[in-house]
Amino acid sequence: MNALPPRIAQALDNELLARHALAWLRVDAALKLAGTGGCLEHYGLDALAIGEPAPQQLIFLEGLLPLDESPLLIRSLELPGGHAVDLHCDAHEGETWILLLDVTAERDESRLVQQKAYEMTLLREKEAELNRRLAAANAALLAAQREIEASRAALQQAHDRLDQGLQEASAYVRSILPRPLSEPFDVDWRFLPSARLGGDCFGYHWIDDEHFALYLLDVCGHGIGPSLLSVGVLQTLRGGSLAGADPREPRQVFAALNRIYRMEDHYDLFFTLWYGVYSPGGRRLVYATAGHPPALLVAPGRSGMQRLATGGAPIGTVRDANWRSESIVVPPENRLYLLSDGAYEIARPDGTLLNFDEFAGFVGTLEADGHEGCLDRLLDFVRRQAGPRAPEDDLSIVRFVFRTAQ
Amino acid sequence: MLQRKICMLGAFSVGKTSLVRRFVESAFSDTYLTTVGVKIDKKSVAIGERTLDLILWDIAGEDEVSTIRTSYLRGTAGYLLVADGTRPVTLDVACSLRERVTGLLGELPFVLLLNKCDLVDDWRVPAERVATLRQAEWPVATSSAKTGEGVEQAFRELADRLLDAKAPMSSPPQAP
Repeated sequence: MNALPPRIAQALDNELLARHALAWLRVDAALKLAGTGGCLEHYGLDALAIGEPAPQQLIFLEGLLPLDESPLLIRSLELPGGHAVDLHCDAHEGETWILLLDVTAERDESRLVQQKAYEMTLLREKEAELNRRLAAANAALLAAQREIEASRAALQQAHDRLDQGLQEASAYVRSILPRPLSEPFDVDWRFLPSARLGGDCFGYHWIDDEHFALYLLDVCGHGIGPSLLSVGVLQTLRGGSLAGADPREPRQVFAALNRIYRMEDHYDLFFTLWYGVYSPGGRRLVYATAGHPPALLVAPGRSGMQRLATGGAPIGTVRDANWRSESIVVPPENRLYLLSDGAYEIARPDGTLLNFDEFAGFVGTLEADGHEGCLDRLLDFVRRQAGPRAPEDDLSIVRFVFRTAQ
Repeated sequence: MLQRKICMLGAFSVGKTSLVRRFVESAFSDTYLTTVGVKIDKKSVAIGERTLDLILWDIAGEDEVSTIRTSYLRGTAGYLLVADGTRPVTLDVACSLRERVTGLLGELPFVLLLNKCDLVDDWRVPAERVATLRQAEWPVATSSAKTGEGVEQAFRELADRLLDAKAPMSSPPQAP
């Protein structure tokens, strides 16, 4: 190895010593300070006492001496005065030499770089933590969504089951309604429950060879409860099991029904009823109403229309109420319309209501013009009045044609 | 007069320098200034009738690229292992350091300090993990260099252990 020329080596040494403010300390085997030199003032170490314990005067030596490894270098050690030094320790002939080289500038430079690096790392950690929380929030959100979907599916299933039940009940109600007749009367009807199951029901049947009963009832409200009641009443009327009442006498029928179907015993439900009995022999129709809209008796052509109603309270509302019957001789070829209030209490899109007179007027026009398919035209008329919305109430219309032969 | 060297060990930015500053100067700064190398400080504590001078070696934290120089650990009588309660990874570093120091210097008195306990909402170190360490007879405490909570107690606890390595912790602070 080529040795540096002495002058250059000396210049380098001088430069190094000046730049790093070399100071030295010598500690003896008893760990007492044996000698000092160099730039001690630079480090604030100019008041050291020779012959006194070194670790007490130089706290950075605590625990280091005696050296168990030599030489020992401790890099970038910041002294209480603020200077950073590289501390070189070397055991030599029973003594320990300690050199202090100022590296404050290098330390400060390193600190800048390290500071940036740590700040970046902390940002990365923070970002990772935020991402983790975001992922956890997403997972929680997904779990909640799955839960909602499961609930929705369960709800849909429950709804489907309920809907299925309603459909079956609706089908049952339709199945117990009488079939249209063509002999000896021409009878047809249209039935449109508002909520699949309604409170309307109607029927007609022979009481005996001479008496034909026809009736239409409307239980308040719609849905399962009213539907059940309307079916019950229908079966009662059909079965003729009205204790103490002559089914040929409408007012007796009403009184008997009123005893059986008191609203306080039937979930606060009551119903209106139009009930009539037709005797073909004398063409006589005996009828009565209990809070129900009038039936329309329409003569052929434009010869007139009568409204058949007797007033009276709805069945079930007034204990011991009385009803009266009326009778009329039905001219040949007259048509009788039984209807529920849902047929004409129609809210139009402009907010006005179709009323009974308008409905009756349209019925009169249909019959006067002798149109085929009167009931479908009537239903179409009602639907047009309602506009795009479905009718809010049940709608029942039954049409009888009393032919000449009867 | 008794004098003992103790080292502050832990990952970077866990608050070692702030703990020393709180302990020595009763001061705190929110500004983070990284430590390069090691910084020496001294604080005298009275233990019963005696006074113990603690020579505090505040050693630069471990990071992904640099590990603590073993030369800094020479002659230490004990150490304060510091982790940041809001960064669980720093507890991993502390556990790793504990293993390495024990391998290098044997069993020495130490106290594990979960710092930054004032950041309650950001606390992330699982309580179960702390419980496990306590079951393993690690002296675990919590502290806040910012508020001063638990700082003096932790250094005193370590000082007690320096004088009597077998002494149990008097009343370990609880993790939040």
